[in-house]
Amino acid sequence: MKFVINVLSSSNAPATRRALRFAQAVLAAGHEIVRVFFYQDGVLTASNNLVVAQDQQDIAKQWQAFITENKLDAVVCIAAALRRGVLDQAEAQRYQREAVNLADGYQLSGLGQLHDALQQADRCISFGGE
Amino acid sequence: MAKSVLLISRQAPWAGIGAAEALDIALAAGAFDLPLSILFMDDGVLQLLDQQQPQALEQKDLSANLQALPMFGIEQLYVAQHCLTVRGLADNPLALTAERVDDQRIQQLIRQHDYVMTL
Amino acid sequence: MTTLHIINAAPTQTTQLSSCLRVLSAGDGIVFCGEAVQALRAGSLAAQQLQGIDHSCKVYALEEDVLARAIDAEALPVTLLDYPAFVALCVAYSRVSSWT
Repeated sequence: MKFVINVLSSSNAPATRRALRFAQAVLAAGHEIVRVFFYQDGVLTASNNLVVAQDQQDIAKQWQAFITENKLDAVVCIAAALRRGVLDQAEAQRYQREAVNLADGYQLSGLGQLHDALQQADRCISFGGE
Repeated sequence: MAKSVLLISRQAPWAGIGAAEALDIALAAGAFDLPLSILFMDDGVLQLLDQQQPQALEQKDLSANLQALPMFGIEQLYVAQHCLTVRGLADNPLALTAERVDDQRIQQLIRQHDYVMTL
Repeated sequence: MTTLHIINAAPTQTTQLSSCLRVLSAGDGIVFCGEAVQALRAGSLAAQQLQGIDHSCKVYALEEDVLARAIDAEALPVTLLDYPAFVALCVAYSRVSSWT
């Protein structure tokens, strides 16, 4: 079965850890993840500027590793990302900002990518709030 | 046939950017001609309140985006009557034409759509 | 065409649970995770609310959240889930509705 996973909270929220463990179980069960879509505060998970204390789980880093290892399509909503300070090279240039902090493995794109994924998938599950 | 989405919007318009970001999902579906219905529920029903003055909070008026929905082809708009009632708004006029629905109709709406997305 | 509802907020904090219960259809399921599992504490107001749901609706909870919060889930008819079981449920129901 084809899944879309929608991440709506920052990597500090328990929901974003839950989303990751769920996504790992989806692949382990032999299902497909069409796309992981990061929206609202979920876009903060894609920042490579997060620094987590050593005795804490680095969920953002684990998400990134999971995405790159499995070559997942990970789309970060561009409008939501810009207003939360998550920029790729092109956007940093466009808005003349110094920091480029979109982690490798993610791409900025529009909400159309969420709808496109829904059309291809069988199930969509959102992880937001706490 | 395109898969349909029921977007359940539960955030008050003054509680940060949540309501506007929910609405953007709807506008994007409209831009791609995809079937999407919106159900305003819980504090989300407050988005439909008439005579709001968001400029008092130096905020953009969400109602302009709401008014744009039909132009984007998003015409299936519903509001949970129970949620209006418990907020003392049972008979208030709404800023947008939305069908007032009871719990049973909401159950139907959920079953009629391929996806339910709540923000 | 049943729906799997996912609740993750404490019943004492938001209207998630009460709103979900109002629009539950026969045959639907509810998964409690995160702070929402507080609803499963025996004797709580939310647990009483849950006793009243349609018998065709099943109640599930993410085991890690129940364990972490020292909740005695034996008191209620609730099925505990690990992540593989959670995924399997999402497949079994026709759609997933996260009440974020």
